[in-house]
This record gives sequence, C-alpha cells and structure tokens, in this order.
Amino acid sequence: MGSGRPLCSPESLPWTTDSNSMASTSRGDSLPKVQCPNHPDAILVEDYRAGDMICPECGLVVGDRVIDVGSEWRTFTNEKATKDPSRVGDTQNPLLNGGDLTTMISKGTGAASFDEFGNSKYQNRRTMSSSDRAMLNAFKEITTMADRINLPRNIIDRTNNLFKQVYEQKSLKGRSNDAIASACLYIACRQEGVPRTFKEICAVSRISKKEIGRCFKLILKALETSVDLITTGDFMSRFCSNLGLPKQVQMAATYIARKAVELDLVPGRSPISVAAAAIYMASQASAEKKTQKEIGDIAGVADVTIRQSYRLIYPRAADLFPPDFKFDTPVDKLPQL
Amino acid sequence: MEQNNSLPPFPQGLASPQGAMTPGLPIFSPMMPYGTGLTPQPVQNTNSLSLLEEQQRHGMVGGSGQTPQLYHSQVSTTTALPGNTPLYTTPLTPMTPITPATPASESSGIVPQLQNIVSTVNLGCKLDLKTIALRARNAEYNPKRFAAVIMRIREPRTTALIFSSGKMVCTGAKSEEQSRLAARKYARVVQKLGFPAKFLDFKIQNMVGSCDVKFPIRLEGLVLTHQQFSSYEPELFPGLIYRMIKPRIVLLIFVSGKVVLTGAKVRGEIYEAFENIYPILKGFRKTT
Repeated sequence: MGSGRPLCSPESLPWTTDSNSMASTSRGDSLPKVQCPNHPDAILVEDYRAGDMICPECGLVVGDRVIDVGSEWRTFTNEKATKDPSRVGDTQNPLLNGGDLTTMISKGTGAASFDEFGNSKYQNRRTMSSSDRAMLNAFKEITTMADRINLPRNIIDRTNNLFKQVYEQKSLKGRSNDAIASACLYIACRQEGVPRTFKEICAVSRISKKEIGRCFKLILKALETSVDLITTGDFMSRFCSNLGLPKQVQMAATYIARKAVELDLVPGRSPISVAAAAIYMASQASAEKKTQKEIGDIAGVADVTIRQSYRLIYPRAADLFPPDFKFDTPVDKLPQL
Repeated sequence: MEQNNSLPPFPQGLASPQGAMTPGLPIFSPMMPYGTGLTPQPVQNTNSLSLLEEQQRHGMVGGSGQTPQLYHSQVSTTTALPGNTPLYTTPLTPMTPITPATPASESSGIVPQLQNIVSTVNLGCKLDLKTIALRARNAEYNPKRFAAVIMRIREPRTTALIFSSGKMVCTGAKSEEQSRLAARKYARVVQKLGFPAKFLDFKIQNMVGSCDVKFPIRLEGLVLTHQQFSSYEPELFPGLIYRMIKPRIVLLIFVSGKVVLTGAKVRGEIYEAFENIYPILKGFRKTT
C-alpha cells in the first residue's frame, strides 16, 4: 500500500462528527444518515467526479469528499512508467463477471523474485476464475468483432448481457462460444434498432452464416424474446454511404423501397434484395450511377438477385420515385435488364 | 367441457416471477390447461394483444379465473376425413345435423395431400451390407460416406436405408399403406438374399403434407400476432416457420399461400393442424 494522502480523511466526512455539521441525524439510529437540512426526504445524488453528495431539490452540497468509486485516478497509459502507480487495480465489471473480490499474486519485479535459473519463484498465475474464463474470452471476442464494424458501446454492452444470460442458462452449452457470441451480436444490433445483415456479421466472425442463424433461433427460444422484423429502410443509410451516394439518392432509394413493399410488387423477396434494387434504380436515375456488381458487393447480395428484384419494380418505376426527385436520367431511359 | 369455465390451478412451479426472460418451463408447456391459446385461435383484431398478455399473465398469476371470450367452442368438428372412422354414428333420423353448425368455423374444404412418409422397421437380424450391396439390384453402399446400404424400388417409389444392425428406414412413400408395403418389399429382398429377416416394430416416424390455401398471405402480420409460435427471417428462409403446440406440427407458410406441414405421426394430426391454421391464415389474407 503506497504512502500518500488517503482518498478520504475521516475528519472531513460530515456524518462522523456530531458537532455543528450540516448533516444531522434525526434519530438515534445505529447508522447516521446523510440528509439535506432543508429537504430531509430528498434522496441525495452522488456526484462521483467531485465526490459530493448533492440534494436534488435545492442543489446543496451535503457530503463532501466522499469515497470515489470510479477507477483509479492515477492510471495512465504511460509507457515510461515502469511501475504502475495504480493502487486499486482494474475497474470491476460486476454485472458481467462473478463479482468476486479474489486477488492474485502478480509477477515479481525485483531481483529477489527470481531463483537461480531465472525462473520466477512464485509461479501460481493460473486460473483466476476458471468458471468465467470462457465468458471473458467471449467478451473479448465480442469486442473484437464489434470493433471491426465500429459498433458503439451500447451494442457491445447489450451483446455482453445477452451472452451472459445465454451462458448462465446453459441450454446452448454444446455450441461454440464464438457462434453464440456472433448470434448475440446480431440480436443486439436488431434490438437496438440498427440491424446488421447476417452476412455483415459473418464478415467479422469466423462462423458460417448457417451456424449463426441456427444459434440465433436457439437463443431467441432460450431467452424467450423476439425481435422486430427487418425493413428495407434499416439498411439504406449504411449501404448508401458505403457506396458514396448523396443524401438525395439515399432518400429516393428509401422511398422507392418503401413504396415497392407497400404496393406489394416484390412479394416474398428478402428486404435486403429489395433495398439493393431500389438503390440501383435510384442511383441509375441520378448522376451517381452504380453498377449492380458494386451494389451487390456492399449489400452482400448476388447481382442476379438485384436483377430479379429490379425486374419486378421496373414496370412501376414512375410511381415509385418521390415526387420531388431531380432526374438526371429520366424514368423511360432507365436501364432495362 | 369444463375447460372454459374455470382454469384449474396449475402448480406454482410454472409461475415465473419476472415474466419473459427466465429460463425453465416455457409458458406453453403441455401441462397448461387446454384452451389457453396453445391451439391457435383466429385473431379478432383488438383482442390479439390481450390473448398474448393472457398467456404472459398465466406465468405470474396462478389462474386468473377470467375466461377469455376468444375461446368459442372450437371443438374440432369431425367431418368424415379420409382414413378416419367417423366418431359419431348417425342417431335415429338421418336428417338431424350431426355436427353443431357454428358459422364462424366452417371447414376449409381443402385437404392437405401427403407427400412423404418416413418409417422404420427392425428386420431382427444382423446384416452383411457388403453382400447385400453386391447381390441386390439398385443398391448403393459407400461405407466411407455413410454406413448403410441405400436401396430403391420402383413400385411404391421409395428409398430405404438398411443398416448392419438390421434396422431399416423407408422414405418417400405417399401413404401409410404404401410405406408399409414398401418396407415389406425391402424386407423380402433382404430375405431372398439369405438373411433371416423378420418384420418387427414397423412404425411411422414422420409424415409430410402440403396444400394451397389459394390466396396470398401477409407473413409480417402473422409473425407480429403469433410471435411465440412463428419465426420469420427472410434472410434465412423465405417462408414463415410456425410451430404449432397442440398437434405438435411444424408448418412452413409461404407468401404464395402454399403451406407445408410436417412432424406428424398420424394423418389426423396434419388435418387437425391445417384446420387450426386455416382461419388464422384467412385473417391475414392479402387484400390487393
């Protein structure tokens, strides 16, 4: 334990002194309660950054310099620091791990920790938590996968939670953890309202689409949840920006796809294929023309599939465009495949 | 018929305190009293949510005592289906109507056709697959790929997998009788090759039927209202997979109106499942 000022000094805590402090105990209870003097019933809000307890009604700072439960302030990612000044170690992730407070002996640093042959004297760095090892591994894998497609923290957290629930349930124990992790990632994206296609998840995972699909259905059954159906609009912004199409074309494509589904021109077609065909039609009518192959590459759809869906929407092309669309190529000059 | 009057209290073990996400017995377990929506009911617009909530609430309150009005007497009107003996014999006058005329639940008039029957039989003796493959006609045997002889006959056009333990699987028949006949023919072939084949434990394991409701179906609507039974993932499969609980049948429902039913052990289950799903599909008919 290093020297230095302790994080909190007993004298500064208001409730330990019973002199004229601002907080007062109303009754002779065993635990002194911190209250705002003006609003004794208000529940105090903790401001962890400054270590204050603040009354939400009047804003009075009631407790001062209480214990900071965040991470160690002095943790720097400083390569030059050979000795880590951190006194408390890494942040805990109590929701996801066992939440145990086990400690372990770390690698020695001085010369005395090595015996004659250069091996370290104390060698027990083995299992810190064997039960959670697979789960931690999976979390690492999830973070890696999500990083590849730049998914935000909230999706990663949701995925971790889903994985934890599935793992604890043990009903899918025989399945590969990576497959379950990929399926959880897929479900989390869906649940957050920003679905990714199975092919996009396949691209960042080593598991096949078939296996991810199987695990997906099993997880939905095990957790007894369901997800919303995908729509064409969910993918428009991503596909269009990956293709470099301007906003006008993206909005036109969204409108086309929605109208096509409403008019039931494409019954039974996957929404991804319809979206791809709509993007093709919109881009061909604008100045930024994209080929079917390029769109197929981005969307993960075969170009014959785009051709098929395009053939279905082509006859009604004039009705599908939004009314305020500026045509670079008029509707009758659209390519007919 | 006391199913509609009071829901008998079921064991508390089924109550899930939190509702949806707890593991353990799913809400639609076979122990639930009949008529809690396990048999799919035709949705009557606003009550659809309350039906699902009713099922959710069953997990929490042990028998609410409310009788949901949706359970009108959907007693299976047993019209004489081919292959079934009628349950009622005609009473005194042949003019009296036998089945209660409930106009809301007329039978669909469509009968699913059986497409495939899978059955197993035990020939009762160990077999030498090599000799069978060499001597029988229309037999293939590739032990590196699969450990059974694959034999085909033309008359009921079927395929059999014959294993060295003496057990045999017969697939491809279009009716129960044909499946049994085909299995007997295979057993005869094996017997003629010199093995003391018997015909023990013939059992039909799976029956597949298909039919057409002749109108397009809104699968998105169906998956919204029957979430616990349906799975519709256009990325994975273009049809909706409906897992019916009451006859335990899986139905593949397509946009075109074609329906495939599978998982039945007896013909009546297929017919019953189709009669159950038909009014629901009618409710999701595409109007344009």
